[in-house]
Amino acid sequence: MIKSLNPLSWKGAKAIGVASLIAFSGYVAGDSQSAVEGEDILQNRCMGCHIPEAQNPLQLSRISHQRKTPEGWLMTITRMQLVHGAVITDDERQSLVKYLADTQGLTPEESAPYRYVLERRLNHVEDTGSELKEMCARCHSEARVGLQRREQGEWEKLVHFHLGQWPSIEFSAMGRDRDWFGIALNETVPYLSEQFGLDKKVWDDWQAAEKSSLAGSWRLAGHRPGKGAFNGSMTAEETARDKYTLTLTGEYANGEKVSGKGEAILYSGYEWRANLNIGEESYKQVLAMNKSGKELNGRMFLRNQEPLGIDLQAVRADESRVLSVSPTYIESGKTVDLTIQGVNLTGNVDLGEHIKVLKTTGQTKDTIQLKVRADKVSRAEPVTVKVGEQKLEDTLTLYRSVDHVEVTPAYAVARVGGAGGSQEKVKAVFEARAYDVGDDGVAGTDDDVFIGIMPAQWELQAFDEIAIRDRDLEFAGEIDRETGVFTPGDAGPNPDRKYGTNNAGRLKVVANLNTKSKSLSAEAELLVTVQRWNNPPIR
Amino acid sequence: MSLNTIITVLISASLTLMSSMSYAEQPDYMVVVNRPNNLHVINLATETIDRTCELPGDSAPGTVAMSPDKLTAYVLAGRFGKIWGIDVRNCDLTFSTDLSNGNIRVKSIASLAVSSDGEEVFTVHNPVRIMNDHYEVLDTQFAVYKADAGLQAKPVRTYPVPRQINIIQTADDGLVYLSGPDVYSIEPKTGKIETVIPSRTANRPGFSQPDILTVWPIGRVSDEFIRMYSIAKFDESGDPDKAEYFWGFEQVILSTGKTNVTEFAPLEDVLFTGMHRPGKPNEFYGVLTQLKRFDVNSQKVIKSIDLERTYYCINFSTDGSKLYLAGTYNDIAVYDAETLKKLGNIVLPGGDMSMSTSQVFSSPKELSNAKK
Repeated sequence: MIKSLNPLSWKGAKAIGVASLIAFSGYVAGDSQSAVEGEDILQNRCMGCHIPEAQNPLQLSRISHQRKTPEGWLMTITRMQLVHGAVITDDERQSLVKYLADTQGLTPEESAPYRYVLERRLNHVEDTGSELKEMCARCHSEARVGLQRREQGEWEKLVHFHLGQWPSIEFSAMGRDRDWFGIALNETVPYLSEQFGLDKKVWDDWQAAEKSSLAGSWRLAGHRPGKGAFNGSMTAEETARDKYTLTLTGEYANGEKVSGKGEAILYSGYEWRANLNIGEESYKQVLAMNKSGKELNGRMFLRNQEPLGIDLQAVRADESRVLSVSPTYIESGKTVDLTIQGVNLTGNVDLGEHIKVLKTTGQTKDTIQLKVRADKVSRAEPVTVKVGEQKLEDTLTLYRSVDHVEVTPAYAVARVGGAGGSQEKVKAVFEARAYDVGDDGVAGTDDDVFIGIMPAQWELQAFDEIAIRDRDLEFAGEIDRETGVFTPGDAGPNPDRKYGTNNAGRLKVVANLNTKSKSLSAEAELLVTVQRWNNPPIR
Repeated sequence: MSLNTIITVLISASLTLMSSMSYAEQPDYMVVVNRPNNLHVINLATETIDRTCELPGDSAPGTVAMSPDKLTAYVLAGRFGKIWGIDVRNCDLTFSTDLSNGNIRVKSIASLAVSSDGEEVFTVHNPVRIMNDHYEVLDTQFAVYKADAGLQAKPVRTYPVPRQINIIQTADDGLVYLSGPDVYSIEPKTGKIETVIPSRTANRPGFSQPDILTVWPIGRVSDEFIRMYSIAKFDESGDPDKAEYFWGFEQVILSTGKTNVTEFAPLEDVLFTGMHRPGKPNEFYGVLTQLKRFDVNSQKVIKSIDLERTYYCINFSTDGSKLYLAGTYNDIAVYDAETLKKLGNIVLPGGDMSMSTSQVFSSPKELSNAKK
């Protein structure tokens, strides 16, 4: 029996007893009943403070003038409980999040630029515009703003709320050296209204669009940094409208097999949130359905170690599609075993003029195993994998030699934890990306060809003189030499350190690649810092 | 000069001398706050705690201002929303106010001072009206309370002041200095406000906007209202990477009202608090993870030592011979001001001092002789 968890719960919510919430209890099937229930909850739990503005459907002050993601609504309702004394049961809250995300959500296009924050890509570095960088993104992500739609008056009230709730905003760095309140009201509010206005028509059009049930079988393909390629399948059984039970099986490229079960809820017509127990581990899926209803994209990650997870693609098992190829690079002149994964793979395999299929060593409807021989080439070139009418581009590369390596993420943050404290260690994982730099011999130019993510030997170095002086290497943590997974040190002041400080540190993460012609290395910056105490679904 | 005037001058001079002599015989005391709700009265001569008073609530931020007679410690605490007056001789709670009122929630960002006659307590209100379904940020105000208003004190006067005021301090002439976008003086009887040090509005050519962080109204022992700023000095290109970075201070001398704005050192380390050594206008000290001594005129670091840990709040003995580093955890480190040699620690029962302000003063006999 799997333990059911609310796909949207987080520690702030746990504080008010949400962790054990049963995702399906109290759910009333059927569109109209669900809407009525949502309205009932609004009326019974929210109308004490929010003023009714219209009936059928019920419109309430503030609430009816905003649109958000399911996580956004969850954070709002939880804040109402924690800060404003709202009384609402866990079941009611879940129903209300669903109702609001379904009736006042974001469209796929609106959430698309900010999926990294929903998918918990903690080391994503935002390219924030100057309008919001210092006003908003100095404390939280720009995504947190961009994943909301509000009327101008609502953006204005949000500014009042911010300063009223956190009076130190205008005294902290990048607030205290300017007229924070004046700039927020007179410059930022008009900008937000322009960029992220309520725009009801866009939402109405999305609500009116045809949407399909996600019940059925899905093929999975993905990549997990530190572990490599992942393939699998998932079956979703719809138990009530937008609610599913899941079974999942899969295999990593290293042969490790996984299987598990879970539950999912679909919000806003496309936002897939699932919890799965796979072996001893608990995973979360944050996926978005594409417009055709035939594909889901996003991430599946460990609930208690979010940096570790699979970049995941799910395609309906009745589609025909090439999803992945392994390995993703073939060296010039070599004969290798190659596996193509996909859905309903029929027809001849064509790997272009420079790669010859010598033999098909195995074939099912979803997998083709081949022995192939690569021609000798002078420069790396991308290879299109064709199976019958289907093709996969930008995945397989034929290369002669690796000229250049980059480590991703180039800058990462890990956090100390454990040691009896309330926060787990937050790990970081790195990958080495190999390139052919092209005829110009210069890395970073247009003629570079990405070869693939290659195995590397990982090591840590002190970042600079200060890190050497403070002996950061001894304290900040360790990296797995093979997988590139960094595990930070224990939380808490360390009497063995200068200033008695904690196990923070600034490190270089170095990837060493030994190719046949030369040794290459590349490095990234890793900041090991203190715990984050407030970890909402949208940071 | 008439004979009468001369006599008057001589008498007042001798009175001043006598009074400072009598003070010099008295030990220095410190008052400081730590978690969860302690106010410590510390005899610095013996480095022992005379008494620990229990505050009626949460200690944060623990900003302390002493009455002119040094017998009442006013504490801004209660999560930036309450002021309590404590008789430091016996821990009696003599004054209390909740800054908030009805649906108007008020916070004060370390703004706390007492009038020069001890009769009034000053703070700055940052109010927000909390409606059923929205907040409305209201204008900031300088608020005046009667010191003898008891345990449910309400402001007797309020005056509009600019936003973003943090520390405040009363000068000898009764004017109150306010640290905000600029440094202002306010006449607490009338609310008349003037800019005494243009800071944000200074617009110095070739310099960045100064960045100022302070929630520590120190400087009473060095006769100053003091706040530090960091600033970039650009070359002709204006490129931040080529800029020189400096620490500077903005100072009002409390006894004269004279102001100074000076860059005193290159910006080598982050510092939280800094002040002049009492009686030494050319010696400035700053602290965070380092303790640094600066020569103001030459803009040089005379000495810098790494501390055993971080301390937020610096202070001096009244004679300038010793440094007391407080804040952050629960021990006060004592250093020789001349050599920066460590002399010892005073460990406080209870938790972190966090951002509390330590106040050092020469104790009146009523305090040092009070029953322990």
